Amino acid sequence: MSAVTGIAAVARFQLRRLVTPQRLTLGLVGAAFPAALVLAVRRIEPEIDRNVLVALIYALIPEAVCMLGLLVSMCPAVADELERGTWPHVVVRPRGRRSLLVGTFIAAVAWTAGIAMVALALALAAAGLGGSPGLAAMFAALIILSCLGRAALFALPAVIVPKRALVASVGVAVVVEYLAGFLPAVVNQLTVSLRLRSMLVDWMAWRRVLPAEFRLIIDDRPPWMQIAALLLLAATLLVVATLILERRQFPPSAES
Amino acid sequence: MISLEHVTKLYGTVIGVNDVTVDLGAGAHGLLGPNGAGKTTLLGLVTGQLRPTMGRVTVLGAPPFGNPRVLARIGYCPASDLGERRATAREWVTYLVRLSGRHPREARLRADRALEQVGLGAAARRPLGTLSKGTRQRAKLAGAIAHDPDLLVLDEPFVGLDPVARHDLVSLVRGWAGSRSLLVASHLLHEIEALDAGLAVILGGRLVASGDAREIRDLVDAVPAEVRIACDDPRRMAQALCGSGLADSLRFEGRDGLVVGTHRPRDVAELVAATAHDAGIVTSRITAGDQTLEGVFDRLVQLHRGVGP
Repeated sequence: MSAVTGIAAVARFQLRRLVTPQRLTLGLVGAAFPAALVLAVRRIEPEIDRNVLVALIYALIPEAVCMLGLLVSMCPAVADELERGTWPHVVVRPRGRRSLLVGTFIAAVAWTAGIAMVALALALAAAGLGGSPGLAAMFAALIILSCLGRAALFALPAVIVPKRALVASVGVAVVVEYLAGFLPAVVNQLTVSLRLRSMLVDWMAWRRVLPAEFRLIIDDRPPWMQIAALLLLAATLLVVATLILERRQFPPSAES
Repeated sequence: MISLEHVTKLYGTVIGVNDVTVDLGAGAHGLLGPNGAGKTTLLGLVTGQLRPTMGRVTVLGAPPFGNPRVLARIGYCPASDLGERRATAREWVTYLVRLSGRHPREARLRADRALEQVGLGAAARRPLGTLSKGTRQRAKLAGAIAHDPDLLVLDEPFVGLDPVARHDLVSLVRGWAGSRSLLVASHLLHEIEALDAGLAVILGGRLVASGDAREIRDLVDAVPAEVRIACDDPRRMAQALCGSGLADSLRFEGRDGLVVGTHRPRDVAELVAATAHDAGIVTSRITAGDQTLEGVFDRLVQLHRGVGP
């Protein structure tokens, strides 16, 4: 019970830190960006294919917006505590380290998913796809799964190199998600981007029309297996990050 | 209550704490040492933030690192200022109590009680960033005691406080020590003395002395102090000092300097003044040994190493 109470306390506290006028303004500007881009594209190409718009929204929201939101909210999980001088207050609490990481994970997912949902609503309206609840539900699912997977992925740099977590996370995003994720090899099975892409292709029924070379970077298994694999990957990453954080020690001079 | 057996803590090649062995029973204890002596590292080991590189730390019967049962019974107030700015003191303390596993309603009640205890009153509902450093210090202390720990560990708790606030907090902490255990780190001897606490003196990561305040003072007094005299005839002055039996050692420094090792520096100073007057020796300076805490440490280190002046 104490662990759940601690996690809930951290999640609530971190959300309060995230919901500031400055951060909300920044978040809303970020949320408006995909819609602006979609409008610009439609202005240039009024008769643009619906599938192209869907692919564009996918690249902009479950990929870009979620990634950027999590870089802001998940990466500083430990660094923020060290900088604010709150680290020693938290780690001397029973299961304080675990509560800090999991609570921050929940807050980061909630905040980023919230911003991404606003971005989705705006982008669908801008694309003229606002009347498609199925499409909205599909993107909502992709957003939540993207946030869960990427937040767990960014938890690792956050605990391993807290003071360089942002740079390391950008590196992880580029190398793991967008390099390894697009390699037609076993390694891409361990990426969130493969799972999301595969679900998108399946739910949009693009598999039949997809060119052969694109099939190499898509997994053939059904969506429920993609979801299971993604959740398993996220859980594993989060457990590993928690185990690392449970053993992390910072000299007093690092807390400033 | 707190036991360290040959504990060493290394940060890479830097030594934080070096082969410390000490047993502190229930009650109040002060950890005394200048800045950089290793006090915060030692408290980090006691509060489970750090794991010893070598040796064994036991607190309340078990190693504290990663041990929720032990951590639940410890309250810790770090030396560093609180960088949390937006949360109110009440929100902050409630958050810490909830982190200790209490339900929200109980956490709020405990937080309110602790904030009342430290005398925060109405300021508890103001954001921490708008409070003075002294008031934030009170909020930190409230966070450390709100979950009702058996052992309270405070790192430089009175730094930045005005005299009134310092007096209030000393009274509060002393009251706490009456019923439960307390470990306070400070670089100021009088702060520890005000708490009627036992003492452990740390310097350069090493424990150089432990005992109650009287024992430490006796220990310090057991080490000869140095008195430096500058006069126009140091040889005659040395002659007078040798005859008095006050000097344990004598050495000349330059043409007009004399250094006296003594257990009774005050008597030596009086004798020098009298001799200068009676024998007409022009004495330009008498400097007693270093009476600052740093000086006391230096002398304790000398004693620790078996080196006299």
